[in-house]
Amino acid sequence: MQNTSFVIYSPSYIIRKGLAAIIEKIYSNNTIQQIENTSEFFELIQKNETDFILLDINCPQIQKSITKLKTVSETNRIVAFYFQHKPKFDIHFIESIDINYPQNKVFKKLNKIFGKINAPDDGQNIPDEISKREADILRYIALGYSNKEIADKLFLSTHTVVTHRKNITRKLGIKTVSGLTIYAILNKLIDINDTPQI
Amino acid sequence: MIITKNIKMADVIHLNYHTLSVLNRFNIYLGFGDKTIEEVCNDKNVDINFFLEIVNTFVDKEYFPKKQLQTFSVSLITDYLKKTHQFYHEVKVPEIESLINEMIETCYTQKENIVLLKKFFNEYKQELLNHTQREEEVVYPYTLSIEKAYNQEKIDSSVVDLMKNYSINIFKTEHDDIEEKLYDLKNILIKYLPQPKNVQLCNKLIHELFILEQDLNDHSVIEDKVLVPKIRAMEKHITKKLSK
Ligand SMILES: [Fe+2]
Ligand SMILES: [Fe+2]
Repeated sequence: MQNTSFVIYSPSYIIRKGLAAIIEKIYSNNTIQQIENTSEFFELIQKNETDFILLDINCPQIQKSITKLKTVSETNRIVAFYFQHKPKFDIHFIESIDINYPQNKVFKKLNKIFGKINAPDDGQNIPDEISKREADILRYIALGYSNKEIADKLFLSTHTVVTHRKNITRKLGIKTVSGLTIYAILNKLIDINDTPQI
Repeated sequence: MIITKNIKMADVIHLNYHTLSVLNRFNIYLGFGDKTIEEVCNDKNVDINFFLEIVNTFVDKEYFPKKQLQTFSVSLITDYLKKTHQFYHEVKVPEIESLINEMIETCYTQKENIVLLKKFFNEYKQELLNHTQREEEVVYPYTLSIEKAYNQEKIDSSVVDLMKNYSINIFKTEHDDIEEKLYDLKNILIKYLPQPKNVQLCNKLIHELFILEQDLNDHSVIEDKVLVPKIRAMEKHITKKLSK
C-alpha cells in the first residue's frame, strides 16, 4: 500500500479545504497536511519528505519568502496555484494551475502529475506480488534472522537486505516481524514449527 | 459541524455514534433525555470546554485545536488519557479477543491459522499493556509534577532532580507507534487469510480492529501534539526560573 503525502499551503481557509477535497477525490491513499502559516510551512518542508507541495502563490506571505522557496523547489515537487494572474517567479513548479480553471482541466492536469508519481521508476508496472528474492528474504525474516545474518546467508550487503525489506513491507502492507511471519506461514513459505517467536 | 454546549447530548450520538465510548470516558451514560451538553456536563461535574474540544476532535478528523487543547490542565488531560487506556484494556481488547476465540471455536477449516492470529493478538495485547503502563507509571506522574512545580511561587528543589532524570523529550523519542501490529493484523485478515467459513465473525473482527486503530491514533495525537508541547513549555519556564 503506497501512501502519497501532500502538503497544502495557503492562508486561505477556502483554498486549503478546496484543494484537500480535490486531492481526496482523485487519490484515496494519501496524507494531507494543511498549513496556513509560512514559518510552520518551511519548518515542515525541511524535515519531512513530502511527495507533493500544493502552493498558493498569490498570497503575499509567499511572495516575501521567494529565496527560501527557491531552495525548497530544488528538492521538492511543487504544484503552484494562482488566481487569474500568474506571478512571475524564477522558481521551478512541476505544474501551475489557475484556480479559475474548469473542473475537467484541473483534474486532467492533476491526474497527469499523479500518474507520473505513481509509476515505478523504470516505467514498468511492477505487480504487488513479491519477487523470488524477496520471498527468500522474507523466509529468513520469519525464521528470526537479523538483517546482517540474512545478508551473510544470501551474499548480499546489509543495505540491499534493508531495501528488500522495505519493499516487502510496502507490497504486503505488513510492517512487523510477527506479521510477516504469519504471512510466510499462510503462504507456506515456512512451516509453523520452524518459527522461533510464534 | 462543530458541536457546541447548547446542542442536545442525544444529538451528539445521532451525529456520530462512535462518540458513545467517548461519553463513557467522562462518566456520561445513556438516558439523558432532551438535556443539552451543558446540562449533562453540569450534572456530571464535567469540564464543558474540555468535553467539547475532545468530542469535536473525535467527530471531525480535521478539527484539532492544538493551542486550545494545550490550555487545559495536565490532570484533566491525563485523566482523560487514562480513561481511554482503561477503555482499551477493559472493553476493546476483550471484545476482539472474544471474537477471535469465537472464530476458533466455529471454524473447522482455518483453525490453525486463526490460532496464529490469536497468538499475534496476544503479543499485541502485551505490547499495548506495556505501553500504557509505562505512561501511567512514569510519564503521566512526571507531567503532573512538572505542572505542580510550574504553578509554584517558589519552585521545589525536588523537581530539579526529576528533570535531570527524565524529560518530556525523552518520552517523545521513546513513545512508539502502537498501531503497527493492528495495521498488520487488519491486512492479514483483509488480504491474506483464506476466507474462513464464518464470514460475519470475520467482518465484525475487522470492524473492531478499525475502531481500535482509529481510537489509538486519536489518543496518541493528544499525547504527542497536546501533552508533549505543553509540558515542554512548562519545563522551559521552570528551567528559566531556576537559573535566576
Ligand atoms: Fe497513552
Ligand atoms: Fe501512548
